[in-house]
Amino acid sequence: MTKLTMKRRSFIKTGAAAAGGLMIGGGLATPALASYPDRNIDVIIPTREGGGADRLFRAFTSLWKNHMNTNFEPGFFPGASGRVGYEVYMGKYKPDAYSLIFGNMGPEVLNWAVKAPSFNIDDYIYFNRVDTDPGCVFVGAESKFKTIDDIVSEGKKRALNVGTSRLAHPASIGILALGEHTGAKFNLVPLSGGKNTVAGAVTLEMDFCVLTSGSVIKAADACRTMLVFNDKNVAGEKLDNAPTMNDYFGTKLPAMFSARAFGIHKAAVDAHPDRFEMLQKTGKKAFDDPGFKDAFLKSKGFWPYANYGGVKECAEFKSAMLEMGERFKPLLTGK
Amino acid sequence: MIIDANFFLELFFHQLGLWWVVIPSIFLGLIVGGIPGFSAANTIIVLLPFTFLMEVEVGLVFMIALYCSSRLGAGIPAILVNIPGTAGAAATPLDGYPMAKQGFGQRALSISFVSSILGGLLTTVIALITMPWLARVGFYMHSVEMVVVMLFGISLIASVATKDTIKGLIAGFVGLMIGSIGADHVYATPRGTMGFLELYDGVPLIPALVGLFAISEAFMVIESGSFLSKDRVQQVQNASWAETFYGVRLTLRRWFHVGWTSLIGLVIGVIPGAGAAIASFVAYQQSRTFSKTPEAYGKGHIEGLIAPEAANNGVTAGTLIPLMVLGIPGGATAAIMMVVMQYQGVPTGPGLFTERPDLGYGVFMAMFVTYLLMSFTILPMSRYMSRVTLVSTVYMSPIIIAFTLVGSFVPREYMFDMYLAFGFGVLGYIARKTGYHVAAILIGVILGPLLEQYMLRALKMSGGDATVLFSSTLGNFLWAILVATLILPSWLNKKKAKSEQ
Repeated sequence: MTKLTMKRRSFIKTGAAAAGGLMIGGGLATPALASYPDRNIDVIIPTREGGGADRLFRAFTSLWKNHMNTNFEPGFFPGASGRVGYEVYMGKYKPDAYSLIFGNMGPEVLNWAVKAPSFNIDDYIYFNRVDTDPGCVFVGAESKFKTIDDIVSEGKKRALNVGTSRLAHPASIGILALGEHTGAKFNLVPLSGGKNTVAGAVTLEMDFCVLTSGSVIKAADACRTMLVFNDKNVAGEKLDNAPTMNDYFGTKLPAMFSARAFGIHKAAVDAHPDRFEMLQKTGKKAFDDPGFKDAFLKSKGFWPYANYGGVKECAEFKSAMLEMGERFKPLLTGK
Repeated sequence: MIIDANFFLELFFHQLGLWWVVIPSIFLGLIVGGIPGFSAANTIIVLLPFTFLMEVEVGLVFMIALYCSSRLGAGIPAILVNIPGTAGAAATPLDGYPMAKQGFGQRALSISFVSSILGGLLTTVIALITMPWLARVGFYMHSVEMVVVMLFGISLIASVATKDTIKGLIAGFVGLMIGSIGADHVYATPRGTMGFLELYDGVPLIPALVGLFAISEAFMVIESGSFLSKDRVQQVQNASWAETFYGVRLTLRRWFHVGWTSLIGLVIGVIPGAGAAIASFVAYQQSRTFSKTPEAYGKGHIEGLIAPEAANNGVTAGTLIPLMVLGIPGGATAAIMMVVMQYQGVPTGPGLFTERPDLGYGVFMAMFVTYLLMSFTILPMSRYMSRVTLVSTVYMSPIIIAFTLVGSFVPREYMFDMYLAFGFGVLGYIARKTGYHVAAILIGVILGPLLEQYMLRALKMSGGDATVLFSSTLGNFLWAILVATLILPSWLNKKKAKSEQ
């Protein structure tokens, strides 16, 4: 049976494997490492070609390939909110560190909370997080709501319709947590994708919407941001200097990010700690490479959202997403 | 900057000066539009780095020209060999292909080109003039209203089922059932996926489209050896330029029909998330409803070809309006244009017309110029293109099957989609052999999921209260028109029959 939470033991094991890898990789190159990588590394992208993940992947690997001395070959497996890509990766690719997945830890991990995949979710781990894009609450430019207080106050009088990209989304969790904290009633309405969610707010079909803030920034003056689900509004003016939920309401909500990171079979980490160590080390170098900022900006990324994270940060985030998903499961699944 | 007649005249000549970008893009668009699975959107994605290198204006003109011509290009195989290049051209073969089979392929292409070009030109001009007001359509056409719009399209099932009502309705019902496969739109609960993850997002459109239309047609025509009967072959071989000009004349005589069906496309195009497939089916349905000869539809009726082609080209201007005026893209291609514009530091939304009016209005002027240049570049090609129908089906059928299978693979790159296309081909073949209308199945497959999506959204917003469907004034107005268009024709027919007696 698939487990929905990352067990403490498995987390420690993963951490130990990573730490072991770091120690070994400090200078003791094994014969296996000496020849690794001797071919291209396949990367499964569980979204459509040409999308944000594709662009970010190309930006990052344009630097990473120099540090790894090999090419990264993308394979696109979109569908079922990322589920297809993960099932393909976990089911069809050998755990030999020659295949990775480039996923979005927020919505994709929440998927597992809503409906468990066919594999054990502890059988892969994330590393080399490249960006974190926090969720936010926003309204259309012509909305009558001016502040988050207006929204909360109205939400106490009637259930407000809240457009969201999909139910199992970090931003959806954020607004449900706000409702739980304030007593306001929010009725989540999935609008199938970020483009439609922005349209839902702009055309005033929804009372307001929630989405990852990167998409809201792109909508520019068409939207006004009211609240950010992060510890800090790093986008500042681009998000109308909106307050963060934790600051404004005194909550302790984990950051509700869309966070793109690479994933790898845990069996590959266990069998080839040296390879995994190399992937981490070179990944960090690629992120710190001065050329990355330029590549990131060219990929239409918002630079303040470029945010490196290692195994530990990724595991913590994955665990937090699973916990929040479990907490709000009845609202996300209607069961 | 003063926005007056001089400004628009200067803009026109400036865009015309970019013919060296427009003309190659037109031909590229024709190719990608004509091959199922390829589209303007995925071609622009592939060429995205190239567009980043261009000046923003040149990049936009390139994308616009590609977008417009791919829309027109999708109708070519739909007419000649019953393969709609995109879902937006799915209603084109209903009357276009029967014309081609009667040996009037050249005329049909000419009608299609002229109605597309006129529809495109007219809606571009209207878009230029009424942009701020048209952009407001999205503020009124919400889920409830869209449910009714979808029903306009779906009611076409009843129209195509006129020959054999029971079989037509069964085919439509099968289509709707197939359309309901996949995760539901609210809680993402998988339904009817039979365990295939590839079906979680629903039945992919392109494999369904090419399977039902093209592959099943390839099976059918291989039995006959030729697309055309012997006397029709002679007719096509002897066809001269006059046939093209006759098509032009026939279309120009129906300028009013081109006008109002392209307006349907424009209005539907403005609604974010709606698209050419909806527009072309709704336009076809409306055209048939108000026709004096509805019984001739589906057999090569000129207006049955004009309506979807004018409408799906009307959509092109419509989808750009929310992007330009509000900053929200109306469709996939518009979304990619937004990426390019933002990359180049060009604002989208209201700021565009104050900061860069040359680009804001320039986009629509580029569209106008593209349609204008298409009339010189594409129209003459109809004579040569129509010769495709002369090629023996012994060669054409395998080519069609191979091309369409590749086309069904392209959008998602899944082998599964090729098997699916083949499966739909077999289904379509059986349907044709047994007298079921494949178009009725396809309407269900294309419009069913959209109807469900809007319906569920409306119900979710109302907390499950079905009366929400009658809660808006505009919605109720549309309901009244829908009921009228369904009942009036048969009522008028009965009245006419009575008076004749």
